[in-house]
Amino acid sequence: MVAAIFNLSHPANTVHWHFFLMSVSNVVVIVVMLIVFALAILVPFPGHRGKERTK
Amino acid sequence: MSSTTKRSWTASARKRAVGALPPEKLLPDSQPSYMSSWIYVFGVLTLTALIVIIASGSILALKGPGWWHFTGIGHFFNSIHLWSVELFFFFMVIHLWGKYWMAAWRGGRARVWMTGAVAFVVAVPCALTGYVSQQNFDAQWISTQAKDGLNAAGVGAFFNVTNFGQMYSYHVFLLPLAVVAIVIAHVLLVRKHGIVPPFQLSDRGALLASASKADPEPVPPRDPSVGNERARDAVSGKAAP
Repeated sequence: MVAAIFNLSHPANTVHWHFFLMSVSNVVVIVVMLIVFALAILVPFPGHRGKERTK
Repeated sequence: MSSTTKRSWTASARKRAVGALPPEKLLPDSQPSYMSSWIYVFGVLTLTALIVIIASGSILALKGPGWWHFTGIGHFFNSIHLWSVELFFFFMVIHLWGKYWMAAWRGGRARVWMTGAVAFVVAVPCALTGYVSQQNFDAQWISTQAKDGLNAAGVGAFFNVTNFGQMYSYHVFLLPLAVVAIVIAHVLLVRKHGIVPPFQLSDRGALLASASKADPEPVPPRDPSVGNERARDAVSGKAAP
C-alpha cells in the first residue's frame, strides 16, 4: 500500500471565525476558484485582438 | 408533400425539430467574436469533465467494489472518477458565476438559465450518493452525517443514505440519467438561443435598434463611433430624452 503524500491521520484543520467554520481544504478550493474566475476575465484570450474582433 | 406525410407524427416532429434547431445552428462552424474570452470556456470544460465522469463511472460499475478497492488499476479509475467530479464542480461553479454576473437569462434565455441551475442542483445529490457508495470509512462517516441532515429536513423516510443498495442505484442510474438529460436540454437550448453576449454589446445593439426606428436614416450596424450621431450619443449616454 502506497502511503499518502500528506499525512491524513489527524482531524481536519479548520478555519473558524465567529459563525464561519470550514475545513482548510474547502477554503483553499474556494479561494482557487475565485482566483481562476478573476484570471478567466482578466487574462487575454489567445488570438484576441481587442475591439477589432467585435466589429 | 403527400397527405400521409402531413399526418405522420414523425414528419411533424422532424419539421418542428429542424425549425427550432436547423443543422447550421445545432453544429455551427463559427462562434461570435465576443466569445474570445476565457470565461466562455468553462461551460465546455464542465461538459468535458462530465464525459470523463460517465466513462470512468461506467468502467467502475462494470468491475465492482472489489476491483476499485483492491487492484492498482481499480484505484486508478476510482481516482479518475473522483477527480473528474471535483473538476466538474470546480468548472461548473466558475461557469455559474460567469453566467450570473453577465445575467445570462437575458434575451429570452430564461430556460437556458433554469436548466443550468437545475443541472447544478441535481448534480449535488448525484455526487453525495457517490461519496456514500464508496464502501469505506469515508462513506460511513459521510452517510451518517448526511442521515442526520436528511432526518432533520424531514425526508429521512424517503432517502436512507446508510442503505448502500439504494444509494448505489441512485448514483449509477437515476441521478446520472437526470443530470445527462438536463445537460442535453441545456446545451440544445444554448444552441437554439445562442451564447449570451456581454452587456455592452447587447445594450449597444438594443440602442442602435431603437435609434434606427426613430431615425429614418440608415444606422451603421457595427461601429457606433462613425456615421449615425444619434446612435453614438445614445450609446455614450448623451441622448436627449
